[in-house]
Amino acid sequence: MHSSRKFVAAVAVSALGMLAAAAPALAADGKALFSAKGCVACHGVEARKPTLPTYPKLAGQNADYVFQQLSDIKSGTRANGQSAQVMKPIVAKISDEDLRALADYLGSLGPFAPATAQGPAGPGKQLFLSKTCFACHGKEGNKPVLKTYPFTAGQTKAYLLQQMKDIKSGKRTNGAVAAMAPVMHLVADEDMPAIADYLSNVK
Amino acid sequence: MKTVIRTLAVAAAATTLIATGAFAAEKGKSVGEAGYVWNSAGGEEDEALHLKPDAKAGKDVFEVCSACHQPEGWGLTDGTFPQLAGQHYRVIIKQLADIRAGNRDNPTMYPFALPSQIGGPQAVADVAAYIQTLKMNPDNGKGDGKDLELGKKLFADNCAKCHGANGEGDNDKFFPRIQAQHYSYLLRQYEGIKAGKRRNANPDMVKQIQNFSDRDTRAVLDYVSRLPAPKDKVAPKGWKNHDFD
Repeated sequence: MHSSRKFVAAVAVSALGMLAAAAPALAADGKALFSAKGCVACHGVEARKPTLPTYPKLAGQNADYVFQQLSDIKSGTRANGQSAQVMKPIVAKISDEDLRALADYLGSLGPFAPATAQGPAGPGKQLFLSKTCFACHGKEGNKPVLKTYPFTAGQTKAYLLQQMKDIKSGKRTNGAVAAMAPVMHLVADEDMPAIADYLSNVK
Repeated sequence: MKTVIRTLAVAAAATTLIATGAFAAEKGKSVGEAGYVWNSAGGEEDEALHLKPDAKAGKDVFEVCSACHQPEGWGLTDGTFPQLAGQHYRVIIKQLADIRAGNRDNPTMYPFALPSQIGGPQAVADVAAYIQTLKMNPDNGKGDGKDLELGKKLFADNCAKCHGANGEGDNDKFFPRIQAQHYSYLLRQYEGIKAGKRRNANPDMVKQIQNFSDRDTRAVLDYVSRLPAPKDKVAPKGWKNHDFD
């Protein structure tokens, strides 16, 4: 190999190395950002316990899913619930790189629910199975089939209920909602509280 | 210097692509795009078509599918999920390959067409073979039955040439069986084909249905939903598939 090509190869390898090494540095930024940007105030210390039941638990959520939500809330593509009034002004001031760092940080706080977590038997669980929810979100809502789909096991009840309603009504249409919206007509409005109750109790 | 920058850019792009998992099969062209060739084959579809299928192994694969398409493969009569029972072997392989290659957009279905969920080309062939063992729904979703005379004429003049005199399709030519399919599912696919939104559609069909009115559409699809499948392909009323009990 000519020495110039060797040089180019070496630079490419070190560039990839630098990109790989940069990843943990970003995760460290994510933790600092989570405090600095005020996220703790609503989502709780280390994102584990939201301060209001309508706010989602975030610790251990799929990073790609979180990043999609943050981006969509920032752009207005997602505007349901309190995302427009409360979240948007906050994330509007955060750069995309920092949003990615936040998402990666939250993803690193896993697991969202313990691998052995189970929810109570009953109508909610039956509905979660019969309405095909488990197919995408996994048994007990704890094994989403894609990294862009959220964990729902142990999520806050009021938040789950709001998302189901809004996805069914078309108020929320962002990201992977395109995959979920076409099946929501199978779920009666009266079914939703039981499903939310079941999922919120998966532990 | 330029080469260094270019190499770095390629490295950065490659890292991003690998990280986002975008290194899936290459998307083909869409219907309506210059150079689009319907069923241009190649890729996983070709691979699967040349493999010897194992219906027994396909049963294990189908368990994933049964969550929505039901153990019987009947889907839902409201058309949310199509009936797969009775569908041709090659048609199933083609559609699965197209969905996972991104040639047919179906966000709900997409994860379940992926290798991570169902497996590689062998699994695609296997599940298509298992589906051949399933008998069809004797009571599929139908239209309102009010315009069948018009539907019959439209079908004979437009659809029978490819989909067969009874809507039985053609396995060799990859034309799907549409007889006894759920009306609402037919409607959704038909409208997607007409609008160019179903990107793996046959351009001859897209052209043919351009001038169909809403009334024509409802009439012909209602007629199709009522075309009976051959008796030996239809299950008795109330039949349940116990393969996944």
